[in-house]
Amino acid sequence: MVLCTTPFEVTARNIARVLGLPDYPFLTVQHPIGSCTLPELKARAQVAYKQALPILMQA
Amino acid sequence: MQLYSPLSTTPKRKAVRAPALGSIDGLRIGILENGKLNAEEMLNEVAALFVQHHGCTVRTLASKKNASAPAPSNTLVQVAQEVDFLITGLGD
Amino acid sequence: MSTTASFRTHEVPDDLLAAIDYCYDQGWTDGLPVVPPVVDRVKAMLAADSRPADTVIARHPATGLDLSLHAAAVNAVMAGCLPEYFPVVVAAFEAMDKPDFNFHGSTASTGGSAPLVIVSGPYADEIGMNADVNLFGPGNRANGTIGRATRLILRNVFQMLPGISDKSTQGNPGKYSFCIAERARGNPWPPLCEAQGYPKGTSSVTVYAGGGFCNVENHGGNTPEQILSSVADAMANYGCITLGQAVVILAPEHMQIVAGAGWTREKAQAYLFTQAKRSVDGMKSVGKYRDREYDTQHGEGAHALAEAGFMHRGLTPDDILITMGGGDAGGHSCFIPSWSRGRGSIMQHSAIRAPDK
Repeated sequence: MVLCTTPFEVTARNIARVLGLPDYPFLTVQHPIGSCTLPELKARAQVAYKQALPILMQA
Repeated sequence: MQLYSPLSTTPKRKAVRAPALGSIDGLRIGILENGKLNAEEMLNEVAALFVQHHGCTVRTLASKKNASAPAPSNTLVQVAQEVDFLITGLGD
Repeated sequence: MSTTASFRTHEVPDDLLAAIDYCYDQGWTDGLPVVPPVVDRVKAMLAADSRPADTVIARHPATGLDLSLHAAAVNAVMAGCLPEYFPVVVAAFEAMDKPDFNFHGSTASTGGSAPLVIVSGPYADEIGMNADVNLFGPGNRANGTIGRATRLILRNVFQMLPGISDKSTQGNPGKYSFCIAERARGNPWPPLCEAQGYPKGTSSVTVYAGGGFCNVENHGGNTPEQILSSVADAMANYGCITLGQAVVILAPEHMQIVAGAGWTREKAQAYLFTQAKRSVDGMKSVGKYRDREYDTQHGEGAHALAEAGFMHRGLTPDDILITMGGGDAGGHSCFIPSWSRGRGSIMQHSAIRAPDK
């Protein structure tokens, strides 16, 4: 599972295309991460977790 | 007139996704963090939710020495043998 | 589109302006018009390197994409290079291909660096490069197009697309072209190619992930300490100070003062390293102090000139490349900061394979 923040969504899509998986689904959360407090990280983790479940279970 | 393409002459790659998981309960999660600020913490928080809700275990913690380089293949090979799925980050 | 011996071609109307527009429409340009890469011009460019056209000269670990001589030649034509410039473009990528340069990271980063290409040795003069007035541009075809070819290759071959895979927060004018020649005329110090250990007569390309350009003006100083202290201050400004490397290009007026007092390159490097520093308290006051970085600089293997209680720029005086360039008049030297927050890219060099005469 690849996690990125919203400004890097286009980056993730581009690298997935170049690596031969143009429709690769990844997790996207609010930017930034580097300056987040722990509560902010936990909130973002919840968002990522909810996105991850259907991706892991889908073919 | 004929123009040469300026793109790479490397043949296009095709890859396939890993098959879907039948169930998440009790699976082993690997974390690969890229050394950026709060990367390890963020990925740990995501993994913690899988531990809490599905009884997953965090089996491996690996770090990329260089955030902008691909993970070394020996890192990936080792991690792939020990986990059922991996969580990693891209960008800042 | 058709495939000829694995090198793809595009058929376009026989109209030059339409071909220029076609290149724009394909997304092949840096925002400026390119020279359409017609087959004959690419073949003439390739003739400047005797190796087969499918020879790989650089690899991109992040994507698995390779740079062949053919693709380099196509982009060099588009940039406006003459065939005699091609060996410099090739040497630049052979240097950038060394893992410690990390051309992916330095290009993709929000930090916004561009590879500075420094050509040293007789080949610079042979192809008419500029080491003099307007060193960093504009005006010289060789400087401008070699730098531009480097950028077009990063974009077209390695898909480092601005806004998509090149996430530089503010960009950098050097991302259009960033290429100079080291000035040989009147330079009292050994040229870089000699200092790098190449045999006499061999020219070199040095590549450095440059984060910007800082003009260092000093018209009143008349001692080496005064001139170099103003350079050191630029190197240590809070916006730039990191453990990374530095490039300093001394104007001839400033070099006359420094070398005129008998200072060697090594003495200038040591002085700059000693002076380019900020106190730990100062670094903390702006939120840039990191224990790990201080320990790296002052722990085992620390350089003797690293002063306790201070963060210096770089780890050793050898992290500072210093040479001469620019016009005879003007007390304007420059400092080029390294990419982003640390030592993610280390400058590299490679020999230029000059074509057989």
